[in-house]
Amino acid sequence: MSVALLIARHEWRRLAVQAFAWMLAAIVVALMAWQFLLALEAFLQLAPKLGGLKEAPGVTDLVAIPILRSFSNLLMLLVPLITMRTIAGERRAQSLSLLLAGGVGNARIVIGKYFGALGFAIVMILLVVAMPLALAFGTPLDYGRLAAAILGLILFASALTAIGVLCSAWTAQPALAAAAAFAVTSLLAIVDAGARLQGIDNSGINYIALPTHIEPFFRGLVSSVDIVYFVLVTVVALAFAARRLDRLRSVPD
Amino acid sequence: MAGTRLNNPAMTAPPVLAVQKASRVLAGRRVVRDLDLQLAKGEVLGLLGVNGAGKSTTLRMVAGLLAPSAGVIRIEGEDLQEHPELARRRIGYLPEVAPLHAELSVAEFLAFCARLHGLEREAEAAVARAIERCGLGDVRQRLIGALSKGFRQRVGLAQAILHDPELIVLDEPASGLDPVQALRLRELVRGLGADHAVVLSTHVLPDVLACCDRVAILHEGELRHEGRLIAETPGTSMRVRVAKSITASDWNSLPMVVAAIPAASDARSWRVTTREGSSAGALAAVIVERGFGLEELRADSPALEEIFMAIAAGTAPAVAA
Repeated sequence: MSVALLIARHEWRRLAVQAFAWMLAAIVVALMAWQFLLALEAFLQLAPKLGGLKEAPGVTDLVAIPILRSFSNLLMLLVPLITMRTIAGERRAQSLSLLLAGGVGNARIVIGKYFGALGFAIVMILLVVAMPLALAFGTPLDYGRLAAAILGLILFASALTAIGVLCSAWTAQPALAAAAAFAVTSLLAIVDAGARLQGIDNSGINYIALPTHIEPFFRGLVSSVDIVYFVLVTVVALAFAARRLDRLRSVPD
Repeated sequence: MAGTRLNNPAMTAPPVLAVQKASRVLAGRRVVRDLDLQLAKGEVLGLLGVNGAGKSTTLRMVAGLLAPSAGVIRIEGEDLQEHPELARRRIGYLPEVAPLHAELSVAEFLAFCARLHGLEREAEAAVARAIERCGLGDVRQRLIGALSKGFRQRVGLAQAILHDPELIVLDEPASGLDPVQALRLRELVRGLGADHAVVLSTHVLPDVLACCDRVAILHEGELRHEGRLIAETPGTSMRVRVAKSITASDWNSLPMVVAAIPAASDARSWRVTTREGSSAGALAAVIVERGFGLEELRADSPALEEIFMAIAAGTAPAVAA
């Protein structure tokens, strides 16, 4: 078994035996379920009026996509809480030397930690996606658009996870790592807000912003530019995290 | 013994560990300078030094955690820096604070460590062996976080030995343990020394006397003293405890004894200086033959203590000088 996969599985196992992860999952699912039910009730009240409209928005537009869009905002808070312990927790418990001294390369450690945390985030995404998908029993859904939104959420979570792992490598305090990751992703989310207020939506600063690249997926558009953006953020963050681990080898835990 | 390096016959084969002119610079400061060390299978080397002497940095280099800024570290003749994967199979490392995952059970954690060290099919058997060797059978299903410090340290030791590495590196393994736990750990380390090469860092002299065959003293990053601990050198002072209460004249009647002074009021613990050329084994044989009732025989700690204190005070020369 590859070492990165071994570390990812171990990371996943460690999350699964912690009450923290289960509580986090329970809170997120409860919160999203509540939002889902509110959106569904609003749709049911609105549905009779929509019947007469030409090309009226369906349940995918009015329930499923808004729920997933709202969840993308929640991911910005959720993912740092998942990733905060990946490396900072090991440093705080002085257990990082187990991996560093095991002849395991920095990149493999970082990739293992990343996939372990991403696995948990993807399970959360699938749990939330299951809510609008349950509507398929009673009404037709736009599966293509839903698939695009799920892909967008996974890529978005991937970038957030990599940023979270990087921040976790930067400090020995998990809470600080979570705060730093939240600050970085929030900054990336609003970095082009000023430009947008002035009506600018295709400048360099717009390209840096996270919403620029996640929104098309919610509209059902899968663009290689957006995929490359998320992959690029992920790779760069993980590369910096690996470099940081190299630095950590020379200092005591 | 001070300032000498003695040849070891086991060193004719490629040593398990060979540190050659290793130096390490951290934050612009040379923490370890031109360190030379060799260690063969079956030897336990005690690395002594005051805080900041460079012990932990040396161990981190030897464990493959930290590359030397200059010099070479070889494991059975192979350069550790060129083949970092050697660390995975051939080195077991226990840092000062055992690297454990408190939320997992002992067996589960060790199974992960076994796979991390490259064991696949044999992982289960290796975990069972390490659990047995470290006396963890009764707690194998318990969460590590719920264990006492002594058991946690044993789990740390188990993770360091479960892949049966040629070299075991232990950084102050008895730190924070109560006397009973420390004694058990010493016995364990002593046992490991029979078929592994072990480097043990500590600043507790009794640990060195109880576990080690050789001692190396570091000070300000330099090797200041290296030598064998077992008293084979001429005129060595020994600490002996016997069952019978005896007198100094009883000791003086032994052919290899130069002097004997009581180390306790009960006339059973003695500091005995042996004649040049005599060995600890010969002394033990005569003590048994005379019916003194040999209970303990070890190198006298004050000799080592004096060297250590002299080095710490900066009055002893560097061994490599």
